[in-house]
Amino acid sequence: MAEQPIALRPPEHRVERRAIGLWALQSLIGFAVLAGLLTAAYLIFDGARSWLGPILVVVVVWGAVVTVVMPLWRYAVHRWEVTEDAVYAVSGWIVREWRVVPLSRIQTVDTIRGPLEQAMGLATLVVTTASSRGAVKIPGIDAQVAARVADELTKITQRTPGDAT
Amino acid sequence: MSTEPAVTDTPDPASDEPWQRLDTRVVWVDAAKTLLSMVPAGIAIAFFGAEINWGTMAPILAATAFGVLGGIADLLRWVKTRYRITDQYVERRTGLLVRQHRSIRRDRIRSVDTSAKLRHKLAGLRVVTVGAGQHSAAGEAALVLDAVRTETALRLRQDLLYGATPAAPAEAAPRREQADGQVLARLERSWVLYNMFSIWAFLMAAGLLWGTYWLLRMFGLDPEGFVQGLADWDAIGTAWTIVIAVAAVGVVGVAGLAVAFVTENWRFVLQRVPGERGTVLRTTQGLLKTREVNRDDNRLRGVQIAEPLLWRWIGMADTTVVSTGLSMWSTTPSAQILPRGPVSVARRVAAEVLETTPSPVDRPLRTHPRRALRRRAGWALTTTAVVTGLLAWLTTLIDGLPDGVWFAGLGVLPVGLGLAVVAYRALGHTVADGYLVVRSGAWARTTAALQSRAVVGVTFRQSLLQRRLGLVTVEATTAAGMGGYSALDVAAADAVELADAAAPGLLTPFRVATAAAADDPVAAQARP
Repeated sequence: MAEQPIALRPPEHRVERRAIGLWALQSLIGFAVLAGLLTAAYLIFDGARSWLGPILVVVVVWGAVVTVVMPLWRYAVHRWEVTEDAVYAVSGWIVREWRVVPLSRIQTVDTIRGPLEQAMGLATLVVTTASSRGAVKIPGIDAQVAARVADELTKITQRTPGDAT
Repeated sequence: MSTEPAVTDTPDPASDEPWQRLDTRVVWVDAAKTLLSMVPAGIAIAFFGAEINWGTMAPILAATAFGVLGGIADLLRWVKTRYRITDQYVERRTGLLVRQHRSIRRDRIRSVDTSAKLRHKLAGLRVVTVGAGQHSAAGEAALVLDAVRTETALRLRQDLLYGATPAAPAEAAPRREQADGQVLARLERSWVLYNMFSIWAFLMAAGLLWGTYWLLRMFGLDPEGFVQGLADWDAIGTAWTIVIAVAAVGVVGVAGLAVAFVTENWRFVLQRVPGERGTVLRTTQGLLKTREVNRDDNRLRGVQIAEPLLWRWIGMADTTVVSTGLSMWSTTPSAQILPRGPVSVARRVAAEVLETTPSPVDRPLRTHPRRALRRRAGWALTTTAVVTGLLAWLTTLIDGLPDGVWFAGLGVLPVGLGLAVVAYRALGHTVADGYLVVRSGAWARTTAALQSRAVVGVTFRQSLLQRRLGLVTVEATTAAGMGGYSALDVAAADAVELADAAAPGLLTPFRVATAAAADDPVAAQARP
């Protein structure tokens, strides 16, 4: 992140280093399931081998590349920040996203912890607005930090009048 | 009508407001419907001596059974449905096997619409639909009262939308007298031309002809023989027969579409009517089935005009309002404020609806960098390569395919490149008079104007390729309409500037440099 692609500075906080492991595991499990299903199909259906073979090879190679590259790339990109006025987060890898949401328009603040995240003490902070496309998701932050930020945001948004549309 | 947070979130079951039934006339309508559905079968048997066997009679018997069962089910629904309006809630209980209790807080109500099918109109009934912004609260269906008397429907709307009931005479006054609003558009005869020609014509004709065929067969007539006797088809030849058949089906379909359009939009009027909570945009339309939709102006956030590519040469446009609480995907297109018609009318109405001159959708738009065209051409090339590659791969797998099939994949290229140019030329954006205006789309060029105050967040999106081309997609998210409106492929250097104009102040703490230095973000970043 030497130069900025757009004229915004990066948010203040990086995500936890453990998130690299989380993303790698998630990717590994996803591709393992897919490759497993394909392999099963390959072994069962003789007639389909001619076209299942190439697909299986592509999935395995692509899965290996993603599992190695994606977590490191994401760790370099993902950042987040909560100021007195707004939530600001950068995420993605091949497609990068900058999201800014004013606190006055926040409707709900959730922390979500999947089984892998629970095991690693991580959490995903989800900040939703009245827009169906406006949710800001901040994955890979420390569970305690996430809970504290969610509490603060909830307190602030309760003070804001109106229905935030 | 209180908006204080003290309002409890669940209705008070102990409220002494009595529960009311739907109108008793619903029972008579159901009975009539049941009887009517027996008529075609009865006539066929009594007058045409049709035999009761499943071969010829299946459709008509099925229709009869469907009608009778539907009538009985509707009667049970009437027996089991109660509704009441308390100080804070509209509540409805219904359901025979599964009891259903729905309630909507009165201060959340965003629309009260009435509609009537022919049978309702004849019986003086109206179907009332109470909407409460189901768009954001996912999965929540509107509350429908099917049906109550016309006077009750009018009173309900008055009560629920504007609070206190005015004096009784307002109810007694006939509907048409209420035209004290400002009329923005009326149905014009020429609009039917815009709605007659469509690929749906063939589908409609197929349905019509199929129905007619079965009907005639049931009454012992021979439509096949009739058509065969019309001309000497063998002498005409197969090719011409097909041409004539397609043309005939097309004519039937076009006529069908014209009739459908006229009955649906009969006496269409769009007007702005004053109410106690501000004005509403009201459309009324329909010959057999009348529909009236009210859209609260307080929830209006912008307008959108879509121009389909294939019909742009005659200037055809669909006009919708961008409004909170109106779903773009609902079955009744309540966001649509005009029937499909000329774009000149659409632009004039858009200007009057927004009450801004010059209208935001008429503003000159800033074009996007030429690099955006390269991205689109890239998509066209990729699609062509993928299609051709897949075809080539398939020929090696399937023996029956001739070797040259992959060649057909190249046919995608000119179409793709054409669309790329169209899509690039459609791109545009501007910010003016507190509106963000964005335009994009290949198959339907869509211009959307969104109020700045409705923007609830900003998203920038950039793929690796966009990054190399120096482009960014800027999206303003909002509670209204589609949930977000994007300016695709803006120059990366202008992206933050655009978003800052659309949502003033939001990005200030995060900008790297002042506007002067923003021209050279690399240099600006180099400073500590």
